Amino acid sequence: MFARFSFIAVIALLASGCANTSPTLGSKNISYGDTKAVETVTNEFGSTDLQMIAESMTRSLAQSGILQGRPVVQVYDVKNKTSEYIDTREITTSIKTQLMKSGVARFASDNTAMQSQVDQLKLQNQSGLYKKSTVAKTGNMIAAQYRLEGSISSIVKRSSDYKDVFYKFSLQLIDVESGLAEWMDEKEIRKTTER
Amino acid sequence: MRFKLITVVALALLAGCATPPPPEPGSAASKVVAMGKLKNIVVGAMRVARENGFMTVNAQLSNTSYNNKTFYYRFAWLGPEGFPVAEEETWKSQMMYGEQTSFIQAIAPTAKAVDFRLEIKTP
Repeated sequence: MFARFSFIAVIALLASGCANTSPTLGSKNISYGDTKAVETVTNEFGSTDLQMIAESMTRSLAQSGILQGRPVVQVYDVKNKTSEYIDTREITTSIKTQLMKSGVARFASDNTAMQSQVDQLKLQNQSGLYKKSTVAKTGNMIAAQYRLEGSISSIVKRSSDYKDVFYKFSLQLIDVESGLAEWMDEKEIRKTTER
Repeated sequence: MRFKLITVVALALLAGCATPPPPEPGSAASKVVAMGKLKNIVVGAMRVARENGFMTVNAQLSNTSYNNKTFYYRFAWLGPEGFPVAEEETWKSQMMYGEQTSFIQAIAPTAKAVDFRLEIKTP
């Protein structure tokens, strides 16, 4: 009797020992990494460049003191003057998100969101589908006091031993009424690959 | 005489093995979180100011080697309770020339930050 119990206990112990208790599924070759790590896989524009630019620009702008009283800002797309494909919308989205989080500015609908905004206002006011008291009135949108626009350019040099890429990102805040540039900053990044 | 000499040597060895005292709270050293032993990079004086409501830090770093050295760093921004008030910063890579003394500057992402930590690592 004792021997049978011992045998069952050993089998149960072995079975539980083999059970996968890790909350993972799949190949061991795939892993999640640090999203804030310095990425140097190639010397093309990468995640670290995007994060560094957004971080440096938003902090410089927030600390400059120009954005007193949380003014309304319209963000324009960053012009890509480099020879490579860069999703510049992601730079503006990151800058906008970080400025929003720091609480220094409010943002008007940008050129991509404007069509959706106009469509929604038309739908509410012209379709007759909505209860009058809940309909958003037209003519109340807040106009931007400033516009934020920037550009990214690059200089690429190659030799048999080196590839050097120099990125320059510029951002400026312009007063819409006066047309004056009230704040401007730039971030330079150099990436060199030795072959 | 021999016993005295042995005692002095033993005491000297013990003193050498003793762990250094922890940095004083509020001192520049207490703000530095070195991830592993820093190779040839020394963190010096730090200047902290508040400009337009945002905390700014200027830290002096020196490369004690004759060769160029790269290090990685980022700042963590803390609130009055000592907890982070913003998401983690991206790591930055900085190169210093041999025997160079340089400064790194950082601005807090939010006016809520009242304290900071400098995380630093050498490859």
